[in-house]
Amino acid sequence: MQFRLEKRAEPSRLMLYLAPILALAITAVLGALLFSVMGYDGIGAVREIFLTPLTNPYKWQDLAVKASPLVIIAVGLSVAYRANVWNIGAEGQYIVGAIAGTGVALLTYNLSGPWILPLMLVAGMAGGAAYAAIPAFLRTRFRVNEILTTLMLTYASVNLLNYLVFGPWKSPTAMGQPQTVLFSLDQSLPYVVPGTIIHLGTPIAIAVALIVWLVMSRSVFGFQIRTVGLAPHAARYGGFSADRTVWMALLLSGALAGLAGILEAAGPFGRLVPQFPTNYGFTAIIVAFLGRLHPIGCLFAGIILAITFVGGEVAQTTMRLPFAAVGVFQAMVLFLLLAADFFVRHRFRAVEPKTSARPA
Amino acid sequence: MNSALIVPFIVTLVAASTPILLAALGELVVEKSGVLNLGVEGMMLIGAMTTAAVMLTTGNPYLAIGSAALAGAFAALLFAVLTLSLSANQVATGLALTILGTGLTALVGRPFTGQPVPTLGPLFPPALANDPIWRVIFGYSPLVYLSLAMVVAVWFFLMRTRSGLILRAIGESDTSAHSIGYPVIGVRYLAVLFGGAMAGIGGACFPLMLTPQWAERLTAGRGWIALALVVFAAWRPYRLLAGAYIFGLLMTLEVYAKTSGGGFRIFPSEFWAALPYLATILVLVLISLSRKGSTSAPACLGKPFSPAG
Amino acid sequence: MMRLNRRHIMQLGGAAAALPLLGGQAFAQEKVKVGFVLIGTPDDNGWNYGHDQGRLFMLDAIGEDKVETTVVTNVAEGPDSERVFRELAQQGHQLIFGTSFGYGDYIHRVARQFPDTRFEWATGNLTAPNVALYNAKFHEGRAVLGTIAGLTTKTNKIAYVGSMPIPEVVMGINAFALAARKVNPEVEVTAVYVGSWFDPPREADLARSLIAQGVDVITQHTDGPVIPQIAESSGIVGVFGQGADMSAFAPNTHLTSIIDHWGPYYVQAVQSLIDGTWTNGSVWPGLKEGEVLIGPYNPNLAADVVAKAEEVKNAIIDGSLHPFAGPINDNTGTERVAAGDIIDDGEFWAVDWYVEGVSVVE
Repeated sequence: MQFRLEKRAEPSRLMLYLAPILALAITAVLGALLFSVMGYDGIGAVREIFLTPLTNPYKWQDLAVKASPLVIIAVGLSVAYRANVWNIGAEGQYIVGAIAGTGVALLTYNLSGPWILPLMLVAGMAGGAAYAAIPAFLRTRFRVNEILTTLMLTYASVNLLNYLVFGPWKSPTAMGQPQTVLFSLDQSLPYVVPGTIIHLGTPIAIAVALIVWLVMSRSVFGFQIRTVGLAPHAARYGGFSADRTVWMALLLSGALAGLAGILEAAGPFGRLVPQFPTNYGFTAIIVAFLGRLHPIGCLFAGIILAITFVGGEVAQTTMRLPFAAVGVFQAMVLFLLLAADFFVRHRFRAVEPKTSARPA
Repeated sequence: MNSALIVPFIVTLVAASTPILLAALGELVVEKSGVLNLGVEGMMLIGAMTTAAVMLTTGNPYLAIGSAALAGAFAALLFAVLTLSLSANQVATGLALTILGTGLTALVGRPFTGQPVPTLGPLFPPALANDPIWRVIFGYSPLVYLSLAMVVAVWFFLMRTRSGLILRAIGESDTSAHSIGYPVIGVRYLAVLFGGAMAGIGGACFPLMLTPQWAERLTAGRGWIALALVVFAAWRPYRLLAGAYIFGLLMTLEVYAKTSGGGFRIFPSEFWAALPYLATILVLVLISLSRKGSTSAPACLGKPFSPAG
Repeated sequence: MMRLNRRHIMQLGGAAAALPLLGGQAFAQEKVKVGFVLIGTPDDNGWNYGHDQGRLFMLDAIGEDKVETTVVTNVAEGPDSERVFRELAQQGHQLIFGTSFGYGDYIHRVARQFPDTRFEWATGNLTAPNVALYNAKFHEGRAVLGTIAGLTTKTNKIAYVGSMPIPEVVMGINAFALAARKVNPEVEVTAVYVGSWFDPPREADLARSLIAQGVDVITQHTDGPVIPQIAESSGIVGVFGQGADMSAFAPNTHLTSIIDHWGPYYVQAVQSLIDGTWTNGSVWPGLKEGEVLIGPYNPNLAADVVAKAEEVKNAIIDGSLHPFAGPINDNTGTERVAAGDIIDDGEFWAVDWYVEGVSVVE
């Protein structure tokens, strides 16, 4: 009896949902081994990173705050990736969204009213969408690959941020330090759970995931995105314009990244500083894949990534595990997930020994 | 700029260009075969850390370069298994490789952090290498001459050999190459391993030549510049050489303008820092315009290939 | 050997710190728990190294039977640091040192949540009932380095490489340039910024191009020893260690260094916590208090140069010399400080101009 690897006719739904859990489990085992070999308490490291944030209720607020921007960005990216539009510059759209929203905050600094914060959020979305419109235009007009342009624009956005906080936007009261003024109360995100640091961004993240899920599963737009992604030729027959899909995918993912940016600026940061970019835009790519490019999946995946960040800090303070270990764990999860994905599309099947197995 | 400055200016420019040239040459071959590996920064870090570790334990620079190449190739193997054998998404796998490289080198490199690493000095004898004029040609580390030789080698391989033709054919149309009987996956494996080795050697330039030490995230984003450079060069080895030196020129010119206390004041320094990236986008558009609606990117770039499908 | 020892001690500290999570408050009553939040790692040979040396000095002075420490490294200046400060406070650390300016907003937020935990914000500018400030007058050390640079340069071109244009760096440049031009009015100072918090290859290129343009003495305000290494390989007259002695990286070129000696302050702060006398003060010691030290001089440095450097150092210590004593003109020729006047500690932070003789592109 031999086993032959073959492509499944239909992707396995069981494997689709099992893969992330398998990836996490294997990461835990491999991680424990790796860190034991390196002279750390490997099992302790895995416990602190993956379990402590869940078992310690004090950490839940941190998970919510850390997961919110990841979820919002990843939901947008998952839509784009479904349409085969590879926006990897969410980090740049996140930064420009924060800049646009902060621009509104600085203009309205001496004003008050409940309209200011919503206006900042809208400006953040517009900023992110506008920044994503550049690669959309270049791709649809000049056929320029969006992977490269979105990445290049991310680097440009970091310099724009530095220019503003070191230059025209530097707070007059900051004693020369590169930072904008602290946002006023009307410009800051309210806390939604009393006694915690959970801010408005968390319910927004949940709402974004639910709304995008509904839209993707129930509307023509969702159908179009999925069709263009899966079968571009069929989509053309169906009358769907590939260019329009590119525009919509980039504008939506850009707007959501921008929204995450201004939420982070108006919430946890409270002002813009050069240290504002924290790689949420790149980490969200992992979240999108871990979440199976599904909005609700992104919600869970965002929490899992948040666990590794928060747990990594716990492990650092309680057992001296270097913070770089978190990056290693995250990369392992993603690698193993990508490997496990193979079995979503393939399976082993028993075959008669006579048949010569073709190399896969 | 006065004439006495031109020689050190060029020497700095060439040295600054070399790691991105080496890494970009590797990535060029990878992309020509139709694979996009975004893990260049991670592989460069792995090469840089390996180099520092080997130098600090053995002191042999050539062993260090060889180890960096091997370590880079080994990291690339991980990418290759996932994307080529298991058809994983290349964008996600490449990013995961960079995250892994950044984390792993920070972790494993801790014992070597902040110790002076002996450099690999000029290839030619001091009489030539230290000559105030001739050092513009003879004053470099062997890594610089290696990078130039590799430009010729990669060009020759891609454009003048049968294997190079096959590799390009696979990058342009994997399905037709497969139907003719070319080993699509096998060739891509070799290309990705070569790319990893070159990124590793590019990383070796940092401790051996540019910043004689190891520190976390030492390459400070040069791997991403290498990726931009491949596009900037429209996937051609000689343009890559020119492109690497243009990028090096932009970076060094800005450094010199700053240190001479003048010039460049029309725009803020952040603009100059962003310039290589903006220039890359502009070049992409220009390439597209000159070819009426299609870039010269390999047609299969980033798309998974499975023989059964 | 030094390095091995240091790491060894950290690991021991780590094992001890892991216990209290299970043990709760019982431990805390016997030993005080002190947290340190660092922006990088202690092996940077610079800023973080200085703080970690200070911590070890404090552990040694007070005794590991009375105090235990937790060090959190690589903490980004942003909301991530808020979590770290809260985590440390929740674990029962009674005193937490945040060693970078960008932690301020987050220290204050956590301090409001934990009114019984004491926080100390290095280089900060705002106190609270349980938030104290501490800083060091590095610019006093810069004046000593400037004196040496002015006396040793042969080309009369000296340079200062800063990370980002923040007040401490601006005033470091000014103190350096004023002192150098006092002993050598011909000196021109080129100040450049890396424009990034971390980019060793770029630092190296900046140093190389400065050297190519005739600069023969460089001082730097960046973390890490890259610039001393480049200076050594170029064979210029001199370079200085920043934050710690860096002579291992440039045995011939390293003239002396500014050493951040946080140890005595950490001893005093922790002791006051133990004694129950901790206050939310704001201290800014310098050479006089021994918080800023001038490291060993290079043996090849001429005796008269060393004597002049010591003279400046001692004059600052005894108060007869102020690093920012007027008259001071800025680099456009406008008089900024009149003769007989000084830039006092309050005015210090508002200075956004450079003194005469400095050319700079921000």
